[in-house]
Parts: sequence; C-alpha cells; structure tokens
Amino acid sequence: MFDFRPKVQVTIEQTGESYPCAIGESLLQGMIRLGRKGIPVGCVNGGCGVCKVRVKQGSTETLGPISRAHVSAEEEAQGYTLACRVGPACEVKLEVTGKMSKPFFRGFDAQAAPPANIK
Amino acid sequence: MGVMRIGHASLKVMDVGAAVKHYTEVLGMKVTMEDKSGNVYLKCWDEWDRYSIILSPSDEAGMNHVAYKCEKDSDLDDLKAKIEAYGIKTTELPEGALPATGRMLQFKLPSGHEMRLFAQKEYVGTEVGTSNPDPWPDNLTGAGAHWLDHCLLMCEMNPETGVNTVADNVDFFKTCLDFYLVEQIVVGPGGAIQAAAFLACTNTPHDIAFVGAPKSGLHHVSFFLDSWHDVLKAADVMGKKKVKIDVAPTRHGVTRGETIYFFDPSGNRNETFAGLGYLSMRDRPVTTWTEDKLWNGIFFHTGEPVPSFTDVYT
Repeated sequence: MFDFRPKVQVTIEQTGESYPCAIGESLLQGMIRLGRKGIPVGCVNGGCGVCKVRVKQGSTETLGPISRAHVSAEEEAQGYTLACRVGPACEVKLEVTGKMSKPFFRGFDAQAAPPANIK
Repeated sequence: MGVMRIGHASLKVMDVGAAVKHYTEVLGMKVTMEDKSGNVYLKCWDEWDRYSIILSPSDEAGMNHVAYKCEKDSDLDDLKAKIEAYGIKTTELPEGALPATGRMLQFKLPSGHEMRLFAQKEYVGTEVGTSNPDPWPDNLTGAGAHWLDHCLLMCEMNPETGVNTVADNVDFFKTCLDFYLVEQIVVGPGGAIQAAAFLACTNTPHDIAFVGAPKSGLHHVSFFLDSWHDVLKAADVMGKKKVKIDVAPTRHGVTRGETIYFFDPSGNRNETFAGLGYLSMRDRPVTTWTEDKLWNGIFFHTGEPVPSFTDVYT
C-alpha cells in the first residue's frame, strides 16, 4: 500500500540532508523510516537525549513527554527538543545538537596511541 | 549469608500508563499494587515476593534505586557496620517506607547510584504455587518473563583524571557485600583499566554489572526467559507491539547470554535473556575480555560495534 499521508520536508542544517516527514510522525521516525541518517538514533522514546535538535525554522507539535534531564524548560522555549517526540506542523529546518556520548571503549580502540598521562 | 539476590528496581517513567502497558503486555508482568503517590508495583509470574519493579512518575527517565534482598533481618545490621566502616554513609529507612517492604538500608554506590538492602517483603507466591505446580501458568501475556534477573549500571569513568567507578564499585561489592567477580572487560595500555565488570552473589553469571561511561546512569534491567526460542518469541511480541528494539536476538560473548534489548516507553532499556550460560561459582576462574576482542565479548557473532548499545542510556 502506498503511503498517502500528507508530508512536509525536514532539513538538517549541518548536512543539508532533507527528507519528507509525515504529519503526525516524529521527525526522527520519518528519518528512520526512509533509512536516512543525520540525527543520532537512541531510545526513540524521549528518555536518552541523543536525538536532541533545535528547531530553527517552522513549527512542531508535541507527540509525547521528553526527559527534563536532557531538555530543560528554558531550552524548550528556545526551540530545543528531542526529534523522537515532536512531529512537523509545517516544513521544518533543524540543527542537530545531541550526540552519542562516547564510552571508554570507543575512545580507546579509536586512538592511534594512548594519551601520555595514562600509566 | 548476607545479600541473596536482586529484589527490585525503581524506574523513573514519564508516562505511567504507557509504562504499565509495556511492562504488562510486552514483558508479561502483573500489577500487584499502587500507592497514593502514583507509583505502580509489578511482579513476574515466577516471582514470589509482592513486586520486583516500581514504575515511578517523573519528568525524566532512569533509575531511582536498585534493591537487593538479604537472607536475615540481622544481615542488615552486619552490612550496615561493614558499609560504614568502608567509608560509605548509610540511612535506615523504616518498615513501610516502601509498601509491603521491611526496613531498608539506603546508601550511594561509589558510582553515585542509590542502592538499598532489605530482608523482608510481603510473600504472595508464584502464579503456579508450591504444591504440585504446573511448569508455567495459563494466560501468560507477552514475553512471559520469569523474573527480574539483574541490572547493568553505567558508571562514571574518566581515564584521564583517573576516575574509575567501575573498579570502585567492584571493590565495594567484593569487600562489603561478598559478591564475586565473574567476568570483566579490560582496556588501555596493558589492560590496566577495568572498563566493565560482571559480578554475582548467586550462581548466575551476573547479579549486577558495571560499565564505564562519561556519566553514571542506567543501561538496562534484565528479565529471565527459559530458552532461545523464548527470546525469539519475545522479539515477535515486540514486533507486534511496535516496541523499539535496540539489538535483535543474538548472543553475548560475556556470560554467553542469549539476548534481545529494547526500550520501554520512557527510553529505559530492557533486556530479556535466556540460556544460563554456565553455573557461576566462587572458585570459577574470572573470564577476561581484552580491548581488541571486546566487541566479540559484547556481540559474539559479529564482533562489531553497535554505537546505540554503548552510547545510549538513561
């Protein structure tokens, strides 16, 4: 069955990547559904914070609660949110601000040489 | 004997209704109690105490505390003395601080996580009882998890400043709580940094696990299933219920566990795992995974990194 849902364009500022997102689906889900990349994908349930974005243009509608550990009320007022918990109300341009926080073992095996201060 | 096993985990959830639906319909737990603060208490069918999970309303995800059960009430006094002598402050919470639960000893782990010890919780019995029981009850829902098995805590670690609360927690658990090290992952020059540790107080490969991270948090709470096929069925349930799966069914090198990882509706990671990889013993030699093979330790088949698995937690 074709996906006839009305869609709007979502653009990721840093990469210029752009994809059609259905009204009613989250910004992140729209990206995942198309197998596209650009916004880090974590729990997709508003808790982990890796898909944090700032909406620069356009407006969004809230689809569910977001963790205050990752987006404060003040930040939310400035356009910060989690891409898994908001859907586009119109065409949206966003900036990705969340990232995967590298744990120890990616730090180490990605290094050519250990830092001098580790004994 | 002191600490016997994991007792419960109190999880922060942002939508209690959605969380209850998840833990009942996907994991197959049953709601056994609610309190006036809106906390919901649940248990698995094969558990005999009143609850093993508390879903606690919050504006963020993560874990409030994890509690382990001691054999005797007097263990709490002995452990209090040991823990205080180790240099960690404890607080005694009176009986009833949590409903259906005896007095608790509350303290902070070196990693900053809140831990509690208790010896009494209301006995309600398993779904199949103790007299000529069936092997499993009728009307199981979802994955039909047997019991809350263990948790994995992300523990603050910064090799550059020498902070390693994985190693600190291991020392505390061995010294004060009489846990023993079963497996570990070591990294850095000469494998000098204990980056992950799996400890037991029972005979399962792990009753608690610690992994190094930039910031302390909850990696997952894990529920026991009987077999590899049950893990597949759990994945089927998740497909049907549109649950976000983090890692599809596979096997860990560490603990040999057969596993699937997924997220609850607040983003707290759950695991259902099967295959008691081996019987863990106090005199069993410690298994060590080295930095060059650590991803085989984590996902044995591919040996390849899955960034979300290590970088995403609550």
